[in-house]
Amino acid sequence: MKRYLLLLWTFMSIVSISAQTLNDAQIRQRVNQAAAAMKTMQCDFVQTKHLKMLNDDIVAHGKMYYQQSSKLRWEYTIPYAYVFVLNGDKVLLKNKQRNDVIDVNQNKMFREIARVMMSSVVGNCLLDDKTFKTTIATTNGEWIATLVPQRKDMRQMFQKIVLHFNQQRAVVNCVEMVEKSGDKTVINLKNIRTNETINAAIFSVH
Amino acid sequence: MLRYFLCINLLMYVITAHAQVTFPSNEGERARYSAYIEMSRGYVSGVCILVNDEGIIKGCIFNEFGITALDFSYDPRRQKIHLYSVITMMDKWYIRRVLKKDLAQLMRCLQRSETSYQNVRRNISYLFTPIADEVTQ
Repeated sequence: MKRYLLLLWTFMSIVSISAQTLNDAQIRQRVNQAAAAMKTMQCDFVQTKHLKMLNDDIVAHGKMYYQQSSKLRWEYTIPYAYVFVLNGDKVLLKNKQRNDVIDVNQNKMFREIARVMMSSVVGNCLLDDKTFKTTIATTNGEWIATLVPQRKDMRQMFQKIVLHFNQQRAVVNCVEMVEKSGDKTVINLKNIRTNETINAAIFSVH
Repeated sequence: MLRYFLCINLLMYVITAHAQVTFPSNEGERARYSAYIEMSRGYVSGVCILVNDEGIIKGCIFNEFGITALDFSYDPRRQKIHLYSVITMMDKWYIRRVLKKDLAQLMRCLQRSETSYQNVRRNISYLFTPIADEVTQ
């Protein structure tokens, strides 16, 4: 009897481990397919920064535009005006004081920010095994992917990045960035529209 | 009736404008600024939050995307800055030394409702523009 139970337990463990792996693989595949099919995306966002030391939150609002494969406009409208446009290797930074165009290959910090933002929004950072160690959990209507940075330069900025995917559309609807200090930034994407034409001027870096 | 509403509207505007704290001098007060620091090599922009916690000003500066650059506190009586954390890429002893001196000067400027400070020797200018509190919540 004891042997029978042990055998059954071992068998169940193997089955559940395989199911989990398969599930993760399927989720990655669905996200990858959705990312490939997403030619454009535009949405509103609400960014909440929680400051651990001050026990305070600051909320910013803005708009985001994405076009495959390397165009992104991230625009803050309230409470400050700030525009970040990534177009290929160039980044335009626009604030009240000035406009700057930066080559991402020459600026390590912006290269990382651009990479994280782009791959988080699209969701294809799930496939980047070199940069992140990823675990995926399933909850009601959401897949939650926890990404732990593996590279030193990324670890200097983030403790982990958590992506929330809408299961039906396989699209990211929330990004949480947790810093080493415990400060956390949560970006909620709202009114998501995909595959609609976006005016080319939106991504202009000139 | 229209005049009455106009009057209330005007009063509310005056109250909210007055509520915007430029420096948190009193216990529990907080102030928020759009921060812009320009150096000869480039610039850093973002948001600065100051909170008065039992007479000590606690502050945090982070970029627009929410990545924290530094956490600090300022003791108005001793006029000294204590740096708790500085982002790894800026965490060098010589940068910390300049930051401590400049932030202390900047806090004194903000106390006088001056929103800018210039370190002429190092050619660094600090511009901290208050952000209206009611739109940040």
